[in-house]
Amino acid sequence: MNNQPHILVIDDEHQILRALRTILTARQFRVSTAASGEEGLALAAASQPDIIILDLSLPDMDGVTVCRRLREWTRTPIVVLSVRDGEQDKVQALDSGADDYLTKPFSINELLARLRVALRHSAAQSQVDQKSVITAGPLTIDLAQHIVLRNDEPVKLTATEFKLLACLASNAGRVLTHGAILSRVWDPAEADHVEYLRVFVRQLRKKLEDDPEQPRFILNEPGIGYRFIADD
Amino acid sequence: MRRFWILPGRGGYLLPFLLSIASIAVVTAALLLMRDDLQIATIALLYLLPVGISAAIWGLWPGVAASLAAFFSLNYFFIPPYGTLLVHQSQDLVALVVFLVLTTSISQLVGRISRNLALARAREREATRLYELSFTLSKLGREDDILKSLAQHTLETFHAGRVEVYAESEPQPVLVRVPEEDGAEIPGRPTALVSMQGSRRLLGEIRLWRLDEPLEAVEERLLRIFASQGVLALERARLTASESRARILEESDKMKSSLLSSVSHELRTPLATIKASVTSLLSEDISWEEEARADLLAAIDEESDHLNMLVGNLLNMSRIEAGALKLKCRWNVLAEIAAVSASRARQTSPGHRIALDIPEDLPLVYVDDVLMEQVFNNLLSNSLKYSPANSVIQIQARRQDEKTIRVQVDNQGPAVSEADLEKIFDKFHRVTAADQVTGTGLGLSICKGLVEAHQGRIWAENLAEGFAICFTLPIHAGGEAPRMPDE
Repeated sequence: MNNQPHILVIDDEHQILRALRTILTARQFRVSTAASGEEGLALAAASQPDIIILDLSLPDMDGVTVCRRLREWTRTPIVVLSVRDGEQDKVQALDSGADDYLTKPFSINELLARLRVALRHSAAQSQVDQKSVITAGPLTIDLAQHIVLRNDEPVKLTATEFKLLACLASNAGRVLTHGAILSRVWDPAEADHVEYLRVFVRQLRKKLEDDPEQPRFILNEPGIGYRFIADD
Repeated sequence: MRRFWILPGRGGYLLPFLLSIASIAVVTAALLLMRDDLQIATIALLYLLPVGISAAIWGLWPGVAASLAAFFSLNYFFIPPYGTLLVHQSQDLVALVVFLVLTTSISQLVGRISRNLALARAREREATRLYELSFTLSKLGREDDILKSLAQHTLETFHAGRVEVYAESEPQPVLVRVPEEDGAEIPGRPTALVSMQGSRRLLGEIRLWRLDEPLEAVEERLLRIFASQGVLALERARLTASESRARILEESDKMKSSLLSSVSHELRTPLATIKASVTSLLSEDISWEEEARADLLAAIDEESDHLNMLVGNLLNMSRIEAGALKLKCRWNVLAEIAAVSASRARQTSPGHRIALDIPEDLPLVYVDDVLMEQVFNNLLSNSLKYSPANSVIQIQARRQDEKTIRVQVDNQGPAVSEADLEKIFDKFHRVTAADQVTGTGLGLSICKGLVEAHQGRIWAENLAEGFAICFTLPIHAGGEAPRMPDE
């Protein structure tokens, strides 16, 4: 049995494929590559990879469509790649089931961090007992008991603040789109009210962060959403 | 005053005849009272009065009718034997015939003169209207204005109930209707319709509705002249528009080539560093010290980031220039956007201290957060470039008044000469010589474009100790501030 995680890279640029194959193989991944959407879909079905890296601009079909078609039958984590200014595409891909995104050009450290989080998250989902206590620096968040400690001191949160924090923290390391957070914490009908999110995130930061202007735990991803950073 | 006197409308033809005969009847009645005191010659002379007046007022044919009526009245009432049309004395017969000839001639003469006078007046009015129209049209440059003015003038000149001007225009045909507020259904077919035939193709048509009477030949001719004036004005406007389009294209062409030459230079500079470093690392005839290796790799890393920012800026610049910038505005916390930008700047340039001074109670702003972040990125990158190492760069935001937020990014760099304060927002303008500082010279002009797209204003200021770029953002660009949900 091969223990190396199997990674499928779907991108039409051969230089990127070549570079990623070399780099990821050196990092103990098994790498398959596909240069088009159709080829990627076929390879994903045939080889059952552990994680998929998907470029959003493919020659034969829209990356968002590939994402949607993959999600029809598999929960394999997907990390999408896109250029800057493609915020709309990224949000669409994330809302159609992608787990995370990276903006080209990216550093390999960023890519590895995203892959690690996505793999861990999918592993956690398949287990019955999900982690119910999350720690991030001085913060301890007990999702089951609804308790938040900061330097072992309890932090008073309103019901909505806790719901928001729980939503972010249980997806630690992954980006969540504004729409996804709003529809989970408030209501799918409120998915457009980014202003709620802005105000409540600011309140949370004031209660949790050392310096709310230089947040360490709740990070802003302009045009996309928020990302909670927990301890590894 | 309508043309009632000379050329009465429908149903009005009979009235002048009746009036002229009535005038004879009145004069006859008056003369009958004095029949015995007056001689026939005097009576005949007195009859000339109503005949002349009738002809002068109502024209030739009512004048002739009056002269005939006068002839019979004279014969019947004043030439013996009274009460008959018989004439006994031959000198009376001669007098009667002379009278008839005289009155008819007078009425003809007077009638023609007054008709000519009326015609001359009508022509003068026509000329005045035409002059007014062509004068007004010559001052207008926009097609809409021309059509509106043409319709309004037509409405007034022809006393019409409604006028429509239809024009085949790009991208879609235009229909102008006066009076505007009249939303009622069009009453059937237009009374008159003339086409506006341009030099190359049909440009449109004028439709006119006048309920009380049809257009006369003279009026139809005038309407056609109006149409041709409209054609002239439209063609002139279109020619001017296409000329200015051509000029804009030419200028943007020039802009593009100067952009390209500057850009290719700017793109090659980081590429040169990358290429040199990589080929050094690849070369097998030398084994690099660990430190030198790290140096070369750091240079590659920095320069590729620089290249990435350059490409992003170029893309934004071309979008701003092409007017293709699409804002995705949402309610945002300005401090949050500035913080993302500040933390990125701290990573790339740990030597500087970047401070945020944004009050907690600053209202939400309705902006595109991705583009606004780029404004901060460019302003910070500019400050980092021009201010000394270990100095402080500050982002400050304040509510300036009810409607505006003022943001200031200041540094402890050198002052900029007054003349350059405005110019630094121009493309490719640099205060320092190009070889001393890297960059496209695009950063600040992009900031200007982005801030202005958010309906703000941007300017540069010299401070007591340092330099600042300030910009404003309207608070109510997204309408009233949003309501917050209940807990």
